[in-house]
Amino acid sequence: MAQPLSEDDIYRTSTQYRLWSFSPESLASQRKKTHELAVDRAQRYADRDTHLLTEGEELRLVQRYCEQIRTTSDHFKWPVNVKATAVQYLRRFYLSNSCITYPPKEIYKTVLFLASKSEATHVTLADYARRISTDPEAILAAEYKVMQALRFTLDVRQPFRGLKGCLMELLNMAEGMIGHMEGVEEGMSEGTVVAERTKELPSPGEGSHTKWTPPSNGKTQLKHVQDRIQAAYSAARVLLDGPASLTDVYFLYTPSQILLAALQLADGPLTGFYLSSKLPTDAPVRPKILATISACADMLAAFNQSQVLTKDERAKLEERLEKCRDPSTKDLVKAFAAMRQDGTGEDGAGEEKAKRRKVAREKNEKEGQDLFGPSLTASGT
Amino acid sequence: MSRQAQSRPQPTTRRPADSEGQDEICPVCKSSRYLTPTLRFLINPECYHKFCESCVDRIFSHGPAPCPIPGCHKTLRKHKFRTPTFSDLQVEREVDIRKKVGAVFNRREEEFEDLRAYNDYLNEVEDITFNLINKLEVEETEKRFKAYQRAHEREITENASLAEQERASFAALQKEEREQARSRREAARREDAEEKRQLEENRRDVLNRLASGQDAESVAKAGQQVHLKKRMDRAAAAERQRQLQAASASNGSGNVVIKGLRAKQKQEPEASVDPFGGLSFEGRKYYALQDDYVWAGVQETKADVLIGAGGYDVGAFTGRALCEAFAGLGVFVGDEMDERDREKMGKENDEMATKGAEVAATKGGNAAKGKVKDVKMEDPF
Repeated sequence: MAQPLSEDDIYRTSTQYRLWSFSPESLASQRKKTHELAVDRAQRYADRDTHLLTEGEELRLVQRYCEQIRTTSDHFKWPVNVKATAVQYLRRFYLSNSCITYPPKEIYKTVLFLASKSEATHVTLADYARRISTDPEAILAAEYKVMQALRFTLDVRQPFRGLKGCLMELLNMAEGMIGHMEGVEEGMSEGTVVAERTKELPSPGEGSHTKWTPPSNGKTQLKHVQDRIQAAYSAARVLLDGPASLTDVYFLYTPSQILLAALQLADGPLTGFYLSSKLPTDAPVRPKILATISACADMLAAFNQSQVLTKDERAKLEERLEKCRDPSTKDLVKAFAAMRQDGTGEDGAGEEKAKRRKVAREKNEKEGQDLFGPSLTASGT
Repeated sequence: MSRQAQSRPQPTTRRPADSEGQDEICPVCKSSRYLTPTLRFLINPECYHKFCESCVDRIFSHGPAPCPIPGCHKTLRKHKFRTPTFSDLQVEREVDIRKKVGAVFNRREEEFEDLRAYNDYLNEVEDITFNLINKLEVEETEKRFKAYQRAHEREITENASLAEQERASFAALQKEEREQARSRREAARREDAEEKRQLEENRRDVLNRLASGQDAESVAKAGQQVHLKKRMDRAAAAERQRQLQAASASNGSGNVVIKGLRAKQKQEPEASVDPFGGLSFEGRKYYALQDDYVWAGVQETKADVLIGAGGYDVGAFTGRALCEAFAGLGVFVGDEMDERDREKMGKENDEMATKGAEVAATKGGNAAKGKVKDVKMEDPF
């Protein structure tokens, strides 16, 4: 008894939906809680008068490092999915950890390396560390910590491939090739009609991101429609790469909604037309879906690149951060080395185990040397 | 004469003098075979002491009586006395014990599925037998023996009757074979006699004809021809006989049963693996896959021999891209997450936050605090 899954059900099986989707309120409360706990902890070791980061500052710092990840990824010329994954890893990490505990400066390199691995863009650790001139140990040190914070879910559902799917379909519609859909609007199931209508679409309005402009003679040909679609695609892709990464849309919306929102920003009439060929007119969810898409589009549109911290602002924040560093997480590399040495990294119970392990190691080394017995002179006397 | 007697070699079958003396004299009445050539010795499997027949009659006719051998206090009954099969009474006893054990431990090789189990069983049987023969741990062994007998009562009787049947059918088979051989011999003899008689008749016929004055040459020829025909008949008969024998031989081999372990029961063929555990992806709502897409990305890939040669189907990409384009379109993250949060207050979710930091803190060597519970790694939902 096969249970048919709709696209929505398929998305609901993902960890992104199950663990990393939030309502705006729950997202805010989660961040607040994390921040408060971190501040609480900071009170224990820091001076009273130190000026801790506020929640807003933390958020902006993380955003700044998302930008940093993007530039670093571009420096490596990695594909866009690595970038998006790494940015999401960082954002997810700082949902349950505060910048006060783990400064993003130390985390973001690890996150990018992890993303390159999970997105199958292979580069050796040595190579990676050399090209961003960092100590390889420092990259590995935070890795387990990051994995824990990610709850060992490495899958990030991204809108890029889906956007290609839309491009594919739109181009086919321009040619009059359409797949059969149930219950869509009158005339949308006729290939030639659809192809005609793509030519008669109103031109994208003021403020659209697309670079396409209607032909000067007012006569829209198939070629123009194709150009329009390609231009909308490129514009949407830029939106997905930039604003989508630097805002919370991945937490609040699904990739499908994000990509359609980006398309809408790029070319509103085209997207509206496309959606009308997808959603049955009498479907009760139709208005809700459209509302969600435009809410997401508003969020993307509201993003302003100038809001991102400048280098100086960042430096200032980090200086303040340095003053209230948690001494226990200060030296991640050392902690990591200690953990690797005795396996557990825990005090007390681990100590004995560590001792035993040390004895075993020494014995092993000795035996390794004595594989062919002690040296001849020693045995001779 | 005396010289001859001396040179005669001792018969090799003779026993050593001392045992002969014991053998030939009844220990109770001291009558010896020398004086009573008809002397018969009997034994009782209770103690395997040997008495002459008249002593047994005399002592045990009036019911059970103790063994007259000094030191042996077994009570013996007359009906248990029998003639020993072996002159060595140790062997006699061993054979008796083996019979007794074999009557109970009568499982067959066919009952076992693997050789190991069968060999283990045989080993157990041999252990018990050995202990009984050599009087080691007699009580415990008897207990084991009895326990087995009680536990397997039904199987024992079943197997015994099965063995009985087999024996009967084997005897019947042998009898039949003997019968067949006899009838074959009979037939051969009869044929022989018949042939001789005909030969005689033929000769007499030729003589008669010659006597009646027929042409000598033609008569001789005719006689020869008859003879030849007879001989051909005989050859045919022999051939027939041989065929008969071959047939019966093959019949015989058809009855031979090759004993061995029980044939392993054929296991149910494994159901084919369903990687999606009964889910199907046919429940699409938002798109219908088309056969072809005009987008250059698809067309170029399709035309590329290098890609196609490896078995890559561009349909895998188009299907996935479209599925991703709409996966989650109808999922309203905000609403659904609110609902979920209301349903089960995701405690673990919230606690995750700074607990992680605390774990790291203890790892870092800050041992001032008490034990901290480790981060829950499993999926909290």
